[in-house]
Amino acid sequence: MILIRIALRNLRGHWVKGLIVGGLLFLGAALVVVGLSLLSTIDRSMAKSIVGSVSGNLQVYAKDAKDKLTLFAGMTDGTEIGHVEDFAKVRQTLEAVPGVKAVIPMGTDVAMVYGGNVLDVKLDQLRAAEKGKDKDKSKVVRAHVRKMVGLLAKDLDRMSDLRAVKNMSDETKQAIADVKQGGSDAFWASFDKDPFTALEFLENKVAPLGLNADMIWFRYIGTDLDRFASNFELFEVVDGTQVPKGQRGFLFNKLTYEETIKHRTARRFDKIRDRLAEGFTLKRDEDLQQWRKLNKDQMREITYQLDDRTEPMVRQFLQKHLDNSASAIEVLLAQFMDINDDNFGARYTAFYAGIAPHLMLYSVKIGDVMTMKGFTSAGYPTTVNVKVYGTFRFKSLDKSMMAGGMNLIDLMSYRDLYGFLTADRKEELAKLQAQSGVKPPSHDRAEADLFADADDEVEELPRAATVVAANEVGKTNSEWPAAVAAAPAVESGFDEFAKVDMKASAKKYGEDLFGRVYAQPDIDGGVVRNAAILLHNGIDERQAKLAVQKACNDHKLGLQVMDWREASGMIGQFLFVIYAVLAGSLFIIFFTAMVIINNSTVLATMERTREIGALRAIGAQRSYIRKMFFVEGLVLALLFGSLGSAFGGLVVAFFNAKGIAAFNDVFVFLFAGPRLYPTMSFTHVVVALVVVTVVTLFSTLYPAWLATRVTPLQAMQDAE
Amino acid sequence: MTTAYAATETPIVKLVNVDKDYELGTVIVPALRDVSLSIAAGEFTVIAGPSGSGKTTLLNLIGCVDIATRGSVIIDGSDTKVLKDKQLTELRLRSLGFIFQSFNLVGVLDAFDNVEFPLLLQGKLSKADRRERVMVLLRQLGIEQYSHHRPGELSGGQRQRVAIARALVTEPRIVLADEPTANLDSKTGNSILDSMQELNARGTTFLFSTHDPRVVSRAGRVIRLVDGEIADHNATAEDVAQLAAAAHAA
Repeated sequence: MILIRIALRNLRGHWVKGLIVGGLLFLGAALVVVGLSLLSTIDRSMAKSIVGSVSGNLQVYAKDAKDKLTLFAGMTDGTEIGHVEDFAKVRQTLEAVPGVKAVIPMGTDVAMVYGGNVLDVKLDQLRAAEKGKDKDKSKVVRAHVRKMVGLLAKDLDRMSDLRAVKNMSDETKQAIADVKQGGSDAFWASFDKDPFTALEFLENKVAPLGLNADMIWFRYIGTDLDRFASNFELFEVVDGTQVPKGQRGFLFNKLTYEETIKHRTARRFDKIRDRLAEGFTLKRDEDLQQWRKLNKDQMREITYQLDDRTEPMVRQFLQKHLDNSASAIEVLLAQFMDINDDNFGARYTAFYAGIAPHLMLYSVKIGDVMTMKGFTSAGYPTTVNVKVYGTFRFKSLDKSMMAGGMNLIDLMSYRDLYGFLTADRKEELAKLQAQSGVKPPSHDRAEADLFADADDEVEELPRAATVVAANEVGKTNSEWPAAVAAAPAVESGFDEFAKVDMKASAKKYGEDLFGRVYAQPDIDGGVVRNAAILLHNGIDERQAKLAVQKACNDHKLGLQVMDWREASGMIGQFLFVIYAVLAGSLFIIFFTAMVIINNSTVLATMERTREIGALRAIGAQRSYIRKMFFVEGLVLALLFGSLGSAFGGLVVAFFNAKGIAAFNDVFVFLFAGPRLYPTMSFTHVVVALVVVTVVTLFSTLYPAWLATRVTPLQAMQDAE
Repeated sequence: MTTAYAATETPIVKLVNVDKDYELGTVIVPALRDVSLSIAAGEFTVIAGPSGSGKTTLLNLIGCVDIATRGSVIIDGSDTKVLKDKQLTELRLRSLGFIFQSFNLVGVLDAFDNVEFPLLLQGKLSKADRRERVMVLLRQLGIEQYSHHRPGELSGGQRQRVAIARALVTEPRIVLADEPTANLDSKTGNSILDSMQELNARGTTFLFSTHDPRVVSRAGRVIRLVDGEIADHNATAEDVAQLAAAAHAA
C-alpha cells in the first residue's frame, strides 16, 4: 500500500511528466482497443464474406499445382492449380471427416460474351421477318437498321476526319467504305432483290463495327449449382430462378449484371440515384457530374435503339414531360439529361416510365442463351452456349465487385468451357465421328491437335462441340436455337466436317443439353479444379484443416488444403496489412512513450537520489527500490491505460452506433456490407492494458536499475 | 557533565585500526586514519571535531552505509566488511536508526507515513501496532498534531523531530545522529535531547556527530576527531568548546 501511496503521490508531485507519459499511454491504449476492435470485426465480417460466398472454410486443390489457389485473383486467371481428377471420391472421403458439412466442387475462370450490339439483334429480327415474309415487321426493322447504319457511317466519318488520312490503315478505309455502302440509298433500294445476301453483308461487314458491340469479360465459378445454393449461406437468387436441379445453366451475379449487361444510360441513372441517396449532390460531387455529362454526351445510346415506331412515342413523352414542343429527339433528350439535384427524382421516374420500356435494357436477358467464349486449360479458345436462368447475389455484399464479380455456371458447362471432355461431348463427338468417318485422336493430344497450325501434321479434328459453339460466338439473344440454325458455316480449316449438317447437329445438341437433367453421380463424377469445404458451426478450422489434410494423405487423393484466408489471396491477406499498419502505429507511439518514460524516469531518479539513498540507509533493500519504480510505472500504466481503453471503448461504441462506411467495393467486401459496425470485447481491454503495462515496465527497467545503484552514502553526502 | 546512560561493558560498536580513503580523481584523500574505537551498548556518545575532521565518515562507517578501506568495523557483533549489501541493509534496518542532518524525509509522504516506513520494511507489526507505536513517538516528540502534514508543510524543527521519530520507531539498538540539533532552536533542541536521553536511559545507544555544546554537555563520552584521527577518546566539554572557538576564530 505504501508503495502505491508513494507512487500516486510521486505522480502528483511530477504531474507534468505524468501527463505527458500518461497521454501517450492513453493514446496507445485507446488505439489498441479501437484497432483490435476494428480488426476483429473486420476479421469476422471478412470470414463471413469469404466463407459464406465462395471459399467455404477450407479449399482443396491439387498437391502438385504449380501455383497457389487464389479465388479472388481478379480477371487475370493465370494460375495453374492443376485438377482434382475424381471429385466423387474426394467428396465421399472428405464428407466423412468429422465436422465437414459439405464439399462443393469448383472451378474458377474468366469468359467473354459479346454484349449489347443492337445492330446484331436488329439484323436477326430482320432476317426472321424476311424469312417469315412479315413485310410490316421487316419495314419497321429495316428502317431502324438503315438509321443505325447511317449513324454509324456518320460516326466513322467523323472519326476519319480526326485522323490524318494517310495514317489510316487499309482495313479501316475498307470498313468505312463498307458502312457507307450499307447506309447508301442504292444499297437499300436493291435490298429486296436479294435480302439474304444483303443481310449477310450487313452482318459480316457492318455489324462488327457497331457502336456498342462490347466484349464483356467476367469471372465465373463452375460448380454444382444446387449444392452451392444450399450450402453457401450468403447466396440468394434475385431475379429469375435458380437453375433447375441437375440442369445446365448460368446465373449472373446481380452486380455484374447491372454493371456490365445493363443499358449504360439506365445504369448511370441508377448510380446517380444511389449516390444522391448517400447524401452527395450534383452541385458538388464530381462523380455525379461526370455521369450526367456522359448521359448527355452519349444520348446516341438511346437514339440508336429507337426505331420509327418507338421514336415518336419517346418524343411525345419527352415533349409532354419537359413541356417543350421541339421535334428533334436529340434536343429533347439533351434537355432531359440535363439533370440537377431538384429535378432528378422526377427525371428518374420518367426515364423508367417513358424511355426505358422502348430500350433493350439488358443486352442479355434472363431466359436468353448466351455464348461464352473462354480459353481451355491448354490455352485454346473455346465456346459454350448456356441459358441464363437468373441473377443472384451474396447477401449484404451487393455492392462489392469482389463478390459481385463472381458469376455461376453449372459444372457440366464449366467442364466444356474449360476443355475437360465430358460425357456429353464424348457422345456428340462419337455421333459426328460416325457421320464423318473421322477417326478419334489420341486422348492426350486431342486439343493440341485440334488447334495446331494448319501446317502441322494434324491427326484428327475431334472437337465438334467446340466448332458448333464457335459458330455462335457473339450471339446473345433469346432465339438461340434458331440463330444456331441460321449461323454461318464452320470456320475454314474444318473441311473434314464439310459434309456434316452442322447446323442441325448444333441445334439438336443444344436442345438436348438444355433439357438434360444430370444425376448427382454425373455431376460429381468428373474433373474439377478445386473444392470448397464447409464445416459445421463451431468446428475449429485449424483442427478441421489438419483432419482434412490427413484424410487427403491417407486416401492418396493428391490434394493440399488451405484455409479461406490463404485461398482468398490478397484479400485474405488484407487483414495482415491492417495488422501491420496498426502494429506500426502502435510501435511508433509506444516507442516514443518508452523513450519519454525512460528519460523522465531517469531524470526523476537523479532528482530523488537523496531520497532513495535515505530509504536505503534506513533499511530499504535494492529490490524494494526497484519495486517502488515498477509500482509507479504500473500505476501510471493502469491509470492511463484504463482511461485510454475507456475512451477507445467510447470511440468503438460511437462507430458501432453510426457504422463506418465502406469507401469502395473492396471494403464492402471486407466489411461484409456497406457499413462496418465494430464491436469491442473484454479481451481488447485486457490486451490494451497488458501492452501498455509491459511497455511502461520495460521502459522503467533502466531507471529502476539506476535507482538500485544509489548507495545509502549518497543520502549523507550533502551533510558533510 | 551529566551522564544519563548506564553503559554495559560489551562493545556494540568496535573499530579496529580503521582507515578510510576517498579517491578524488587520481588523488587519494585520507578521511580517517588508524581509528580504533569501542562503544559500549547504552552509551550516549558524541563525536566532536571541526568540519572536515571525519565525523560524518566515521558515522557512515558505523552506520554501515560505507565500508572501511582498511581495518575492521564491527557492529552489533557483525564485521561489516564481510557482509553483503543485502545483509548490511538488513543490519541497518534491524539494529540502526539514522537521523540525518538534512532529515532526508520522503517528500511525498506525510509525517505519519515517514515514521511508519521502517516498520513497513520490517514487516513485523500489525497495522494497529504500527499505528500505536508511531503515534506514541509523535506524541512524545510533540508533533502528534502534524501527523498528516507532509515535510514541505513542517518547520525545520518539526521535520527534525519526524526524522528522529523515524530513527527511533524500530527501537534500534544504536541511533546515529548527524548534527541532530543543527536546525533547532534552543528550546526544541533541548526538548529533543531530553527525549533522547530518556530513550538512552532505557538502553538505546546514541552516537552523535556534532560540535553543538548543548549536545556535548549531555554526552557521556566525547570522542574528539582531528584530521581524521582520534585526538581524544574522552574529551571534556571545555576541550570541545575551545576547539569550536578556535575553529570559529580561524
